[in-house]
Amino acid sequence: MDNAFRKIDIDAFDEDVLQESELYEPDPRDPAQVLDESKQRQVAVRGALAKGDIRGALAISLENAPFGPNVEEAKTLTLQTILSILNSTKSTEVSAVVKALTQDEQDTLMKYLYKGMAMPGWGDISGSVLLGWHEKLTEVAGTGCIVRTMTDRRTV
Amino acid sequence: MPPSVFSLSQTPVTCHSFDANRQQLAVSFNSNDAQILTRKGNEWTATETLAEHDKTITSIDWAPNSNRIVTSSQDRNAYVWQQTPDPETGALIWKPTLVLLRINRAATHVRWSPKEDKFAVASGARAIAVCSFDPENNWWVSKHLKKPIRSTVLAVDWHPNNVLLAAGSADMKARVFSAYIKEVDEKPAPSVWGSRLPFNVLCGEYSSPAGGWVHAVSFSPSGDVLAFASHDSSISIVYPGGPVIHNIKMSSLPFVTLTWTAEDSVVAAGHDCQPTVFSGSDAGWQAVGTLDDSKSSSSARSGFGSSPVGRLNSTAFNTFRDADTRGQASAGASGGDTKVLTIHQNTITSVRPYEGQPGQVTKVSTTGVDGNLVIWDVNEVASLAAQFGGIHLK
Repeated sequence: MDNAFRKIDIDAFDEDVLQESELYEPDPRDPAQVLDESKQRQVAVRGALAKGDIRGALAISLENAPFGPNVEEAKTLTLQTILSILNSTKSTEVSAVVKALTQDEQDTLMKYLYKGMAMPGWGDISGSVLLGWHEKLTEVAGTGCIVRTMTDRRTV
Repeated sequence: MPPSVFSLSQTPVTCHSFDANRQQLAVSFNSNDAQILTRKGNEWTATETLAEHDKTITSIDWAPNSNRIVTSSQDRNAYVWQQTPDPETGALIWKPTLVLLRINRAATHVRWSPKEDKFAVASGARAIAVCSFDPENNWWVSKHLKKPIRSTVLAVDWHPNNVLLAAGSADMKARVFSAYIKEVDEKPAPSVWGSRLPFNVLCGEYSSPAGGWVHAVSFSPSGDVLAFASHDSSISIVYPGGPVIHNIKMSSLPFVTLTWTAEDSVVAAGHDCQPTVFSGSDAGWQAVGTLDDSKSSSSARSGFGSSPVGRLNSTAFNTFRDADTRGQASAGASGGDTKVLTIHQNTITSVRPYEGQPGQVTKVSTTGVDGNLVIWDVNEVASLAAQFGGIHLK
């Protein structure tokens, strides 16, 4: 059966097609400013980690997460920062840290866990760590947290 | 009183609507036909089939006072059904009248206005058809609400003033429109939603922070507050003055349907298979519990209480988990129990008021993909935390 028609991009023939950008409020910040903030946060997180304050480090890194187009560098930098926190947490402490996060922070952390697992090659380095955090976070925040990661168009 | 459970079908129930006396029920079993079921004791028996649509029926609404049924379908049509005597036998049968919707995509949802002189049909054509009767030509005509809808409209709900209409859409927005039809409506009194209300005026546009399709919308009994459920597993309560929006995120799966039972209380249900009760005021809202008190309905449910993932704790899930963690195929370890822990065995697709007046609803009815109809007492609220929503206990 000929099913080539299924590959036709019908949206290309629609003058009034719904754009991705219409689905969420854009970030009011300038891309350069977002990158600056990410760099500052990376420094602040290193400070918190040096003191062994995992909860504080996560709070800093999960605040005002970069989203939307044109901020790829800031997004990658934030992911690196968060991965460095996740990697330096003892697996026995994960549960307590996750419970201490606010609901918004939990949702944002879940987004970064999925982003980390989706990056080609990154999973090899910290795959088991990400899965461990994912398990604990799902126990605390439930399937609703995963659903919000999927629906939220403000991708990190 | 424990909830009454009626198994209507082995197939999913798309939607349901009762007549005024709650002795008859219009349902569609995920097919092109609607069935009229009549209550005989504790049984619902099919007494008539409404066959006219040639694609799946998406929504049914039964007007309690004028005793008319409206159905909408993926075939892009809506029919208004009226009981008329059969010319040969004299028996009352349901006669369809086609409605000229003028839409080029599926009709997704339909609701009569409170005065039953109009109805609104949501559709995939980025439009809502507001239909009213034209006595001169003896047919139902429609006017389209279009701007600024950007995607499929999934749900509509009427304001008690018969003019304002709320709509939830796949473009992640809940909106309030004026559906004022000059020939039918009197000028509405000014309300919190606005004072000048010609047709298609947008009175408000709201969304949940994490977005998601808006599956269900509903005005409060007074009409001054709007509730909507979206696919980010949250419900939002909108006070239009500010506007102040209270967003309650759930740790369970998303809701797809909701209804107000009082000015301070909402029942929502969906993929989590149990109706959840929310209550609050303009100061704030929270989830207070579930109507599905599973402890009373089955003793077999104890012992499953600690699952963090609720309904995923099924035999299939346990089999694979045991194979994964212990390297064994656990035949019989969990007793072959394939039941979900809730009364509804699958997604609840529709919750509607069953008993009581608007603002003092005492019972609600739900139907779902499991083919069951359940009637719940809204005052029998069990704590969420005591349930297998043990997510918070762990």
